[in-house]
Amino acid sequence: MTIAHSIQSIGFLAEFSESVLAYPIVLSIHLACIALFGGMILVTDLRLLGLTFKSLTITDVVTSLRPWKRAGGTIMIAMGLLLAASEAEKYAPNPFFWTKMIILSLIGLHALIFRPIVYSKTEELDRSPVIPTKAKVAAILSLGLWTTMFVMGRLIAYWD
Amino acid sequence: MLLQSAIGDALNNSEWAFALAECVHIGGFAVGVGSIALVDFRMLNLGLRHETAGRILSYTELWTLFALLFVVFSGVALFLSQTDVYRVNPIFPIKMYVLAAALIYNFTIHRKVAKMENPPPLLSKLVATVSLLLWVSVVFGGIFTGFLV
Repeated sequence: MTIAHSIQSIGFLAEFSESVLAYPIVLSIHLACIALFGGMILVTDLRLLGLTFKSLTITDVVTSLRPWKRAGGTIMIAMGLLLAASEAEKYAPNPFFWTKMIILSLIGLHALIFRPIVYSKTEELDRSPVIPTKAKVAAILSLGLWTTMFVMGRLIAYWD
Repeated sequence: MLLQSAIGDALNNSEWAFALAECVHIGGFAVGVGSIALVDFRMLNLGLRHETAGRILSYTELWTLFALLFVVFSGVALFLSQTDVYRVNPIFPIKMYVLAAALIYNFTIHRKVAKMENPPPLLSKLVATVSLLLWVSVVFGGIFTGFLV
């Protein structure tokens, strides 16, 4: 608890959580990123499953959206950390928050495992007559992880 | 009125019903706006360049429609659960006006320009930018409404 207290007492974080405008603005940016870039994750996964965007190759979908997903993800995580750090004492005992953080690290693990064999091998996937199982597994896990991440984010507000 | 209080009671009496309605509302929003943003990114020439904006729109328009229906229905349920709070909220009516503008814009001008065979590039970019701004404004409106409840 004392660590949490120290975190949220850091000068700019304390000012941030006390500001009437800053907190909701950052939360809005966090959510706008979910909407703008969540659609990109969804379409990438659905393309890997062969369910939509079939006139585009997997390579087109994955590579053209990659920089935007990276930028969006970075902003989303930065804003999220700012929100959590400014109210560290409230978040520290919240089980939904920690579940969300575990999911976040699993998403990192997912990237480490599947980037070299799926997301960086899209030309190989496009050449294959049927979409390989590893690509479908990557897509289904990604959809599951992001959905859980989203639901946990919402449930954080419901624990007291 | 009877329906209003029935829905309101259901959400107020169950902690999880309200949380679920919020999840549907925000999740639907993410899919609805996310799918519109894909068309916008194409119109701005920022991604998916190997396909036309019109084709991207035809891939995504059903998701957009269904997702936005979920958003509207869950939104109505959330509203009915505490009408008196929303009625005095200064931001809520602004959000509703911007939302109405965004919805009308999306299914008229936005759709028409996205489907054009050879739109003037500047027109495409302008229409996509306005679309993104309108939808981001609706998100801000929603969060600010919540902060003033």
